[in-house]
Amino acid sequence: MSKIEKALNKARAAGGLRVVSSQLPHAEKEISTENLPAAVSTTALTEQRGSAVEAIARMKEKSLLDKHALAQYQIIYPGMEETRTVRAFRELRTKIIQKTQGRNCVIMVTSVVSGGGSTFVATNLGAAFSFDAGKTALLMDCNLNNPSLHRLFGDRNFRGLTEYMDNSGMDIAEIIHQVGIERLRVIPCGERREIAAEYFSSLKLKQLLVSITERYRERYIIIDAPPMSESADTQILAELCDYVLLVVPYGRVTDSQVNACAKAFSDKKLLGIIFNNEPEPPKLKWRSILNPFIALWDVLFHPVKNNPEHSK
Amino acid sequence: MNLHPEQLIRVISNEAFHNRKTVVTIFIVVYIAMVALGLAWPKVYTAYTSIVVEEKKVIQPLMQGAAVATDVADRARLAREVIYGRKIMDQILEYAGWMKNNLTPAEHDKIIKRITDKTIITNIGRDIIKIEYSDNDPERAFKTTQKFADLFISETLRAKSAESQSAYDFINKQTEAYHEKLTKAEEQLKDFRTANLDARPGSEADIALRLNQLQDRIQHATQDLKEAEVRKDSLEKQISGEAEVASTLSREGQFRSRIAELQSRLETLRLSYRDTYPDIVQLKHQIEDLNQAIAEDQQQRAAAKASGRVVLNEGMINNPLYQQLKQELSQTKVNIEMLNTRIAEAKRTLAQELELGKRVHGGEAELSELTRDYQVNRDIYQDLLRRRENARVSMNLDIDTQGLAIKIQEPARLPRQPSGLRFLHFIIGGLVLGIALPVGMLFTRAYLDPRIRVGEVISEKRKLPLLAVVPQLWTPSETQMLHREVEWLSLVMSGTFLVVALTAALRFMDVI
Repeated sequence: MSKIEKALNKARAAGGLRVVSSQLPHAEKEISTENLPAAVSTTALTEQRGSAVEAIARMKEKSLLDKHALAQYQIIYPGMEETRTVRAFRELRTKIIQKTQGRNCVIMVTSVVSGGGSTFVATNLGAAFSFDAGKTALLMDCNLNNPSLHRLFGDRNFRGLTEYMDNSGMDIAEIIHQVGIERLRVIPCGERREIAAEYFSSLKLKQLLVSITERYRERYIIIDAPPMSESADTQILAELCDYVLLVVPYGRVTDSQVNACAKAFSDKKLLGIIFNNEPEPPKLKWRSILNPFIALWDVLFHPVKNNPEHSK
Repeated sequence: MNLHPEQLIRVISNEAFHNRKTVVTIFIVVYIAMVALGLAWPKVYTAYTSIVVEEKKVIQPLMQGAAVATDVADRARLAREVIYGRKIMDQILEYAGWMKNNLTPAEHDKIIKRITDKTIITNIGRDIIKIEYSDNDPERAFKTTQKFADLFISETLRAKSAESQSAYDFINKQTEAYHEKLTKAEEQLKDFRTANLDARPGSEADIALRLNQLQDRIQHATQDLKEAEVRKDSLEKQISGEAEVASTLSREGQFRSRIAELQSRLETLRLSYRDTYPDIVQLKHQIEDLNQAIAEDQQQRAAAKASGRVVLNEGMINNPLYQQLKQELSQTKVNIEMLNTRIAEAKRTLAQELELGKRVHGGEAELSELTRDYQVNRDIYQDLLRRRENARVSMNLDIDTQGLAIKIQEPARLPRQPSGLRFLHFIIGGLVLGIALPVGMLFTRAYLDPRIRVGEVISEKRKLPLLAVVPQLWTPSETQMLHREVEWLSLVMSGTFLVVALTAALRFMDVI
């Protein structure tokens, strides 16, 4: 956890960063950097960064998901135990920031095959970006045939990408939703459509991406795209993005499949490969497991709780 | 998929965890099956005995070269030949109690096959043969092994003695046969020498020498004859070219030449002097005298001719060269005649010698053959005589059991403990196999399955940038369920070990 994150968490605990203007309904509307001059001095840029961090800090958040719920959703969080998974996403975030030299960008996350874990990677990458109090992330569910991000919401009636694309008068702010994770926003898929290619090749989607990219300079747009093996639309979508992350699930694809998918993108666009879901046992209480008496006691008298508490 | 060793180990451990239920199931099934097999595995008791077979150390050097010792190269093989023989096997079956019931020939053979399969005969060192026999019944194992040793010893000694006897008999028979042949060859040689006195060693060489001399003589004589004939031809040619008589200058001719001479002088003087010159007158008178002499001579010859008298011509004489040639020709002719006679004589002698040579040559070939037969038979006979004596000594050694010492080094004992695979082996083997089998299966899958299980493969093989390797993220409920699952697996494993331990305890207490 970085110093900034620690400081922010500390301040948040003291309630000092929960000052939000009541005049603005959404955090997105609080800050606009669109009118900033193109060329600014270093001092001005630093000041701007400082103001951006402040603005991000003032982003209005709904009730946050507690760590049990996040753990149940398989989403990493700042206070989480430093496992290899958490470390992997932190390092991935750092690499992306180094690659983009701190400039925000649109990153498409796709998998080689269905069920490869692109949603998992996209969500956790967004969460990793949002660890930093000076950065924010926006998850966009473009897997129109098999959307997954809506699971973060309690119900499925949130308006999303398809509604925005179909309604010309809709404001962007109406489809950007909080999910209970600080500095992480989500554009859900919306109602399911079978005409993904038309959406992906439309000018409106391009304008949407430009708009949300330019809205916050510190906001990273992460698109959860359909898997390469199932949809040719993914390549169309990749044209709108700055970078592509290809998720390779453990033990499910051959290297020739990976190579074929990777060749669909240019070297500049393909940021890299994420090898996902490598089997690794969690930390277990081996002493009690290997002691047959304790194990027998557990099996007989401690039933497994399948429904952990999920609160927002 | 080609992986580095550390990657392979990682993949196998990952896969073992991923397929934990299957791995534990295979382990338990294999382990239980091996323990069950161990329970069902029959107990085998092995009895063994060792037999020392060696040459007598004192006898051997003494009889070196005279007696032939048994070859000791592979005694175990010889022992197998003897023991597995029908004769010993039948005695074993009877002694060890196999022949209680009336066995069919097929059953009989089957039992013999089973006994030979359970018998191991090996060489320990140079002189010791070890006989091991395994059986479910310790008493029978002991008795069979003991009987094997006894029968082997007696059979070996008997066989060795019989072998020596038969070897002696054979050599003796051969010796007698060759003696007969040798006697026959001697008779034939004697008869031939009596019949062919000429046929003595060296006759042929003498004849050849004589033939050479005769041929040389004929050749020389022929050469001389040719020379003499050439000489004769040459002399005859010379004689034909020579006159028998040689003519000398006649008196008339002498007178005329004198006249011519004087006439010449007269002519010369007339140039200077008158006819009255005394010298001229003298010359004229001389010329007239000479003319007169000529006339007289002519008259005498004419008169002689008319009267038929031989008138010795003063100008004719015998030719000396002719005479000499005539003499040489005669001599040459005599020589030719003599040479012809000599050649004819030599040829006749040559023919006689050739005839003799032919006769002697045939006889000598026959003599050589007879002599060779005699010598070969004599050599073989002498060799056989020596061998027969060696065989006699060997036979006597075997009769007195001095050639080979064979005794039981370690007698068979009644086995108390079973041998071979025991229950403990199955317990340990089951443990090892239960682990090795699933690991082997996982290894095979990791090796053959082309699907990626190690992230580094992507960057190493396809040169694609690997940004992160994300391990499985467990939800709390999944962790709890996994914990419970592992507890179950642990309990099942503990139960399995407990069952095996109880089984082993009962087995060692001979309850099961």
